[in-house]
Amino acid sequence: MATSVKDTLRALAGGAIAAAMTLSLFAGAAQAQTSTVVGEDYTPTVWIDPDGCEHWVMDDGVEGYMSPHRTRDGRPVCHRSEICGVIPTDQLFATDKSWISATAKDQLINFFQSADAFGFMIYGHTDSRAPDEYNMKLSQRRADTVADVARAAGTRVVDVKGFGERQPRAQGDTAVALQENRRVEIYCVK
Amino acid sequence: MKMMKITVLLVAGVSLAACDIPKQNKTVDNGIDAKHLSQLVAGVWVDPNGCDHWIIDDGVEGYLSERMTPDGRPVCSGVAPPNTAVGPFREGSDFSDTI
Repeated sequence: MATSVKDTLRALAGGAIAAAMTLSLFAGAAQAQTSTVVGEDYTPTVWIDPDGCEHWVMDDGVEGYMSPHRTRDGRPVCHRSEICGVIPTDQLFATDKSWISATAKDQLINFFQSADAFGFMIYGHTDSRAPDEYNMKLSQRRADTVADVARAAGTRVVDVKGFGERQPRAQGDTAVALQENRRVEIYCVK
Repeated sequence: MKMMKITVLLVAGVSLAACDIPKQNKTVDNGIDAKHLSQLVAGVWVDPNGCDHWIIDDGVEGYLSERMTPDGRPVCSGVAPPNTAVGPFREGSDFSDTI
């Protein structure tokens, strides 16, 4: 015990803050092992970029460090306040279709020209009523249609993609949820 | 003479931060331009592939991090040619970086 206290004091005096973290390492399915990791405490804070996405940031005296905050599957963690348009696809497209009427096109052109953005990122989404692969293609075609209108309006398209039914906005399969999930999202790039 | 001035500034910065050495709270900048790190101001740096990164020159610290699409791919907006930086990335600090 005395040795342990002395060691701690020595570590502090030496300028090292040792944080001992215990990890459980799983060997095989049933057997659990425990090991001790000795490291320094580097707790970051969060900086939010102009797009609304989080980054880990640390200032270590004269050095600074930064890295994006991502979910484990690689997506950035964002507060997408800059989504400047979510268009329910029911207003633009008939079921299973990806062409739009002249009226809808005019409205979209007006939207793109008045949005005051450097460019746009356009993402198509469907509900979950058809096979996944079909929905991926349908949402891509619909996003492409909206992107074509953005270009026709003389504005810049930065990114276009269809996510099918994989990124629902609402959970469940009620009529309301399905309708909310059928959408084209437009992100304004400043 | 210039070098002397830089040294004085560096020493001043270090002594201001003296209450937290070794620096344990990594979430604040204790130097001449003291602030919480959430207040950093970024510009865009375009990499050689034409894709965007957030760039922040915060006096003696520099930060760089990726700009991403919702599914984690790089955003390559064309806001500037490759190997250039645009926007207010030096606005977060008055520290004159003469080095």
